[in-house]
Amino acid sequence: MTLSAMQRGLGIGAVLVAALLILWAIPTFVSTPSNVGNVILSPLFWPYSIAGLTGLVGLGLVASTFRADGPDDSLPANEPIDDPIPGLIRLAGIAVIMVLTMVLIDRIGMVWASMLAFAATAFLVRTRHPRLALVSAVAVPLVLYVFFAHVAGVAVPQGELVRLP
Amino acid sequence: MSFMDSLAAGLSLVGNVEAFLALFVGLIIGVIGGAIPGMSATMAVALTLPFTFAMQPITGILLLLGVYKGGIFGGSIPAILIKTPGTPASSATILDGYPMAEKGEAGRALGMALWASCTADLVSNLSLILFAGWLASFALKFGPPEFFTLILFSLTIIAGVSGESLLRGALSALLGLLLATVGLDLVYGTNRFTFGDPSLMGGLNFIAVLIGLFAIPEVLAMAWHPTGHLGKARSLGARHVTFADYRRSFRSIIRGSLIGVFLGSIPGIGAAPSAFLSYSEARRRSKNKENFGKGEVEGVAAAEAGNNGVAGATLIPLLALGVPGDVITAIIIGAFMIHGLQPGPMMFILNVDIIYGLFIGLIVSSVFLLAIGSVAIRGFRYVADIPRRILIPAVLVLCIFGVFAVNNNVFDVGVMFAMGWVGYIMMRLHIPPAPFLIAFILGPLLEDNFRQAMLMSASDPSILIRGPITWFFWAATALSIFAIVRREMKGQGVAQAA
Repeated sequence: MTLSAMQRGLGIGAVLVAALLILWAIPTFVSTPSNVGNVILSPLFWPYSIAGLTGLVGLGLVASTFRADGPDDSLPANEPIDDPIPGLIRLAGIAVIMVLTMVLIDRIGMVWASMLAFAATAFLVRTRHPRLALVSAVAVPLVLYVFFAHVAGVAVPQGELVRLP
Repeated sequence: MSFMDSLAAGLSLVGNVEAFLALFVGLIIGVIGGAIPGMSATMAVALTLPFTFAMQPITGILLLLGVYKGGIFGGSIPAILIKTPGTPASSATILDGYPMAEKGEAGRALGMALWASCTADLVSNLSLILFAGWLASFALKFGPPEFFTLILFSLTIIAGVSGESLLRGALSALLGLLLATVGLDLVYGTNRFTFGDPSLMGGLNFIAVLIGLFAIPEVLAMAWHPTGHLGKARSLGARHVTFADYRRSFRSIIRGSLIGVFLGSIPGIGAAPSAFLSYSEARRRSKNKENFGKGEVEGVAAAEAGNNGVAGATLIPLLALGVPGDVITAIIIGAFMIHGLQPGPMMFILNVDIIYGLFIGLIVSSVFLLAIGSVAIRGFRYVADIPRRILIPAVLVLCIFGVFAVNNNVFDVGVMFAMGWVGYIMMRLHIPPAPFLIAFILGPLLEDNFRQAMLMSASDPSILIRGPITWFFWAATALSIFAIVRREMKGQGVAQAA
């Protein structure tokens, strides 16, 4: 995708988001008391103003791509990589790691969940130092646990399986 | 309280090993963080923030200021050695620093970067001490209309941190403003985008948002392209900086420091424009202007003085007005808030010991930086050897612990992950994150002061132009918008000519 096409898409996206906010999200998810006398003091005023401005900026972004001095239409927006499909799979993998970490924090505790997240991430990004990665995956969460639990007094979630002192 | 009393109160607060140790450790963390390309001073400060929760306020804030100052200098190390600025502020240092490294004078360039950084840092800290108190006493006259116009002015300066496109910067700021509306309404206490979830009623956690926005996208970028960071570091060479080099560049260093102080005291401008302005002024006035860009040591001095001159001055609006001068000071505000401190004019009355303690710590930081920087220049080769694919998972785990520690809430970790994806998409779409963060902080203040002013005046908008202070900020806002439009039109002219 070129920089120009990206900017156009971004502008259209901003206009759509603004429309969605004005027509659906703000009326549905922003409550206001019925006795507000002045529109300026209403809880709706600020979100509507921001949504309106977002729409205007979106139109500006679209318009800027048609100007002679707009974003370059020959340059790619981002440097291409050799393996885009595996890249997407890795991104999906990180998303899965994040979701699993959230789930596992409650089940097995933050330290063990972090160890798994560390190791999984290191192998996902194809580390050239697998042994160091495994040692760090154990050591880093433990050091952080000692600091936060015993120095900072944070109640680090422990889970049900193995509880740390 | 007299100046001497305030100084004594500050000294009693920082006159212990713990405070100076925090500053020292902070500088080390900052130099290392700034020296690792892709890590940046901003990320180093954001990651250090959770460690300050258990500390005394002054100790925690000194730790963060140490990271900030160390990070700004540390960014020059990879800029000179591998042509990759560790922080955006070090971009100008590449112009002469890297050609010097190519000539085998990396050690000389780094030495000059350190001396110029320490000199500029000292000038900047002295300016902070001189001007912050004066500005704070002036700001005591501010009411909601004055604060509204001040914050509006600060928001217009977001243009300075918008990078290559003003419109994308504006979009980023609007997203930040929108996200800041989540939670209970400030006046009526009704729900805004809470979706019935009690966790959202207090709004999104500031620390979760900022760590998500700045640190997590690096993890995602690494997943997308694991080998994108690979590069080679250069050797330091045999030549070192001499006092003659320093004396020859002294005028450019002082000029750059003053440019940094001036630009740093205006919220939103940041260190990178200051470094480039200082560099271009040095080049314009130098006897060796033809050597600039080819490895001129004075060019390195000017660029580094420009970016380090900002470091103390950005604290002027932070401490005196409660308005962050740049992204890093926006994060440092988090440390103040965590400890129940509200930066602003009242802090000069209620917490004068902390203010003067910070001043003393900052002066000492310049000396510490000289010592730590000298060692860091030699030690960078080891820092650069930390495998990035080990560092990034460590960053992820650190983020999880750090964000959880703010409120002991797993929900905040989820917010951080979600904001990480937002930040990554913004990165891919070339939307700068700095305006987002600044707007996220200033948004509620802007709305709150606006609505308070309207309540005070029974919705009469003339209260927003009630006196000289509001006139001044309206004029400054208009001038700022004029300058932005002029710059954009100039940019268009150059593009059309090309």
